[in-house]
Amino acid sequence: MEDVLSRVQKAFESAFHIDPQTVTIDSSPDDISAWDSMGHVELASSLERTFGLTFDVDDLMEMENVKEILRIVQSKLEKVPSATIP
Amino acid sequence: MQRSPEFNFAGRLLQRLGEKSALIDAATGRVFSGQDLPDLVVGFAAGFLSIGLQARDRVLISCGLRPPSTLAYLGAVYAGIVPVLVDERALAMSGEALFTKAGAKAVWIGEGVRCDWARNQNVPVLAGGFDPCPVHSLQPAPCTDGDLAVLMPTSGSTGSPRLVMVSHGNLRANTEAIIRSQHLGTDERAMLIMPVSYCFGASVVHTHLYQGGGVVFDSRFMFSDKVLHSINTYGCTTFAGVPAVYNILLRRSNIRSIPLPGLRRFLQAGGALAPESIREIQRVVPTAEFFVMYGQTEATARISCLPPDRLGDKAGSAGLPLENLVVRIVDDEGRELPEGEIGENQVRGPSVCSGYFDDPEATARKFADGWLKTGDFACRDHDGYLWIKGRGDEFIKMRGIRVSFAEVEAKVAATPGVDECAAAAVPHPEAGEALVLYVVTGDGESGVVERIRHAFPPQWTCASIRVVAELPKTVNGKISRPQLRTLA
Repeated sequence: MEDVLSRVQKAFESAFHIDPQTVTIDSSPDDISAWDSMGHVELASSLERTFGLTFDVDDLMEMENVKEILRIVQSKLEKVPSATIP
Repeated sequence: MQRSPEFNFAGRLLQRLGEKSALIDAATGRVFSGQDLPDLVVGFAAGFLSIGLQARDRVLISCGLRPPSTLAYLGAVYAGIVPVLVDERALAMSGEALFTKAGAKAVWIGEGVRCDWARNQNVPVLAGGFDPCPVHSLQPAPCTDGDLAVLMPTSGSTGSPRLVMVSHGNLRANTEAIIRSQHLGTDERAMLIMPVSYCFGASVVHTHLYQGGGVVFDSRFMFSDKVLHSINTYGCTTFAGVPAVYNILLRRSNIRSIPLPGLRRFLQAGGALAPESIREIQRVVPTAEFFVMYGQTEATARISCLPPDRLGDKAGSAGLPLENLVVRIVDDEGRELPEGEIGENQVRGPSVCSGYFDDPEATARKFADGWLKTGDFACRDHDGYLWIKGRGDEFIKMRGIRVSFAEVEAKVAATPGVDECAAAAVPHPEAGEALVLYVVTGDGESGVVERIRHAFPPQWTCASIRVVAELPKTVNGKISRPQLRTLA
């Protein structure tokens, strides 16, 4: 399975049409101009599709940067039985 | 009319600042107090003049969700230099076209903002701030009511940007009329998540400062709860947003569990918000009034306002024209139509702008004999309330009958399980045109498509219904019709 960061990068690519390599573990909305309020909703949908997860409002509020996104995605993936990971 | 400093809108704003005035950056907690604001604005005015800019020269101002953009904008107006406002998020993509269109001489950007095209072409780029300058050391540039104050970008239906010429008199007339329509007091503070390059955002800044109040900018609406907490932290009394913002608050925030006791009013403009969503916001925050407004950049900002006490019996209406405006509904030949009949909405009054900068053809199409041809189709009821039916280019003709996308979208959005809907037209062999619907559904909803089809009026033809994760939106949060077409 690809590592989580590269799948997160792909979710960014699909949400914002940007080069996935520009997304690093240190990226935040300050670095990615399309990551605004509307963009955040698109990004969450893109991450949901990529990982087959659903996020609640509190998850969205905590996704302040890529590091936090990785933390939230990883903790959710751990709770999901591996058979359901697409 | 004699040119005089008293007609300078920025000069007038500074005179009216009070103890409650402030510009605040919620993301950093930085406060620019009312006491300091005049010297800071005049610092920008003196700074622009010191680099050789003169009255009537244009300067591109990059507008982010932080106070310095407003200081730079007002500083230019104070000096008689014409700011060309551009959304910071659009600076890289359309900044150069606006710069060229305006014949601007320099670009101002906030700290940490990049502007590669300007640097590559040796355009003077001013970054960050200027030292404050005592307000008494520099008078506001003398002007008349009709003198150009600011150029506001607006995207025409063709997609090419245009610059609306907004005069000092336009700004004052619209600001004063909006203040009265919203009963703004002298102790108000607005939470603003839109930049001043969008006329709605600018109008919130103007009205609140003009009344001696303040504005809090918050760039973190992607984490919408932070903005809700900031409203409480900074004692905001006004919140302003486009329909998408209210949909995010209802669907993607904890507004139901974060009380907003100090908030007095919600302002909503920039398209139609479903009446059910307005009712839901009112249920959640019953202590705040909800103002629906309608406007256009070509009319400075706002044209009409629905009084909150008429939300019940006039839900879906754009309200009454502001007190200093005259509105008429005309047919294709320009004949005024009686109440109830749908035609083009035209507006006249002191906040209607004089035209587009360096674009006589577009100006002639949109402005004639003092009337602004809004391009919006509307009717008025027997009480004089305006009902916007859609834009001229936002109709579908099915079986010979014109139906606005807005009407279709409202009908579909009222279906249980549907959060948002956007409609587009495709050619159809029998109906002429048929609808394609893009719908965003609630979590775990099934059978939504069936329910939509079931509730569909028989005279409407639907080619397909597609469930999508999100609708394409413009930077200002409106449904992007051109992008929607690429989905079709």
